[in-house]
Amino acid sequence: MNQERTQQTGCSTDQGTLPSCAPLAVPYVPFQQTGAAKYSAQEALAQGTLFPSLDLPFHLMVDGAEVPKTPLTELQALCFVVTELGLYLDTHKNDQEAFRLFQKYVAMEQTARASYEEQYGPLQQTDAAANECYSWLCEPWPWNGQQEA
Amino acid sequence: MFIYDKKLEYPVKIHNSNPRLASIIISQYGGPDGEMSASLRYLSQRYAMPYPELEGLLTDIGTEELAHLEIIASIVHQLTRNLTDEQVEQSPFATYFVDHTAGIYPTTASGFPWSAAFIGVKGDVICDLTEDMAAEQKARVTYDNILRLSDDPDVNDVIRFLREREVVHFQRFGEAIALAKERMNQKNVYLTNPAFDQA
Repeated sequence: MNQERTQQTGCSTDQGTLPSCAPLAVPYVPFQQTGAAKYSAQEALAQGTLFPSLDLPFHLMVDGAEVPKTPLTELQALCFVVTELGLYLDTHKNDQEAFRLFQKYVAMEQTARASYEEQYGPLQQTDAAANECYSWLCEPWPWNGQQEA
Repeated sequence: MFIYDKKLEYPVKIHNSNPRLASIIISQYGGPDGEMSASLRYLSQRYAMPYPELEGLLTDIGTEELAHLEIIASIVHQLTRNLTDEQVEQSPFATYFVDHTAGIYPTTASGFPWSAAFIGVKGDVICDLTEDMAAEQKARVTYDNILRLSDDPDVNDVIRFLREREVVHFQRFGEAIALAKERMNQKNVYLTNPAFDQA
């Protein structure tokens, strides 16, 4: 974890900042700083967050199984990082480093999505138009836990 | 609009039926702090948000909650398929089963059907975002309690993921309040309601 203190705030990058003076009678949550340490996509999916500093498990937690690495979970991991970075950017729209990472993961997700669909069929209904027949119904629905890969 | 993506946000593969566990976990489908409440709360509150970053955050978290709703339904579905009459009879799931068989119905674990009274939409930035922070905490505690009551690793693995999302969403809502304050009257954020009062 990144213990380096930023020159701007004096807080380590896995901590947040608060205003030195602030109006009364409103809630405060420390603002997550830019440059926080990040998990890999697979680790992020397994932990439920991209950010080690926000990874705060419950003490009675039974250790979860590692997410097995398959084409589907690799795609899920990339989609998850895109979701997580999207929420981060909603409240940190000027963080250029995070935006570049967002661009990188969106590109990786699109590649993974195309190669998954080629092998296992459409993920969205309109993607079925690329096939010879209406393939939207061919693969099991995700709630059955029987999706290939 | 919404477009369906034919995959779950997080994989759900439950190997063993467990009607007792299903009768508890259904609360995160249709309970007060469940995913249906979460998604409808945020997706309904967004219309009265006066700033684009807040409209965006509520849209994006609300959408993620719909993915969580599907994950919870998948868990309950997989825990209750292939049940025998005896398994149902001997479990607390019997009281749900009599009305819904093994279908997925939005209800609390104690049998109260999902109600819009579970959520708040006040049309005020600070008020709604404060409710959202509390809602994330309540959902987090519900997942803590499910982890206390469950010994199925296939289930706990998914619950752990969902619980951690509540922690991250809490952080984002807290930041959203800070962003809202920057745009409001610096001396008195309660001077007007920017969602309603003309500047």
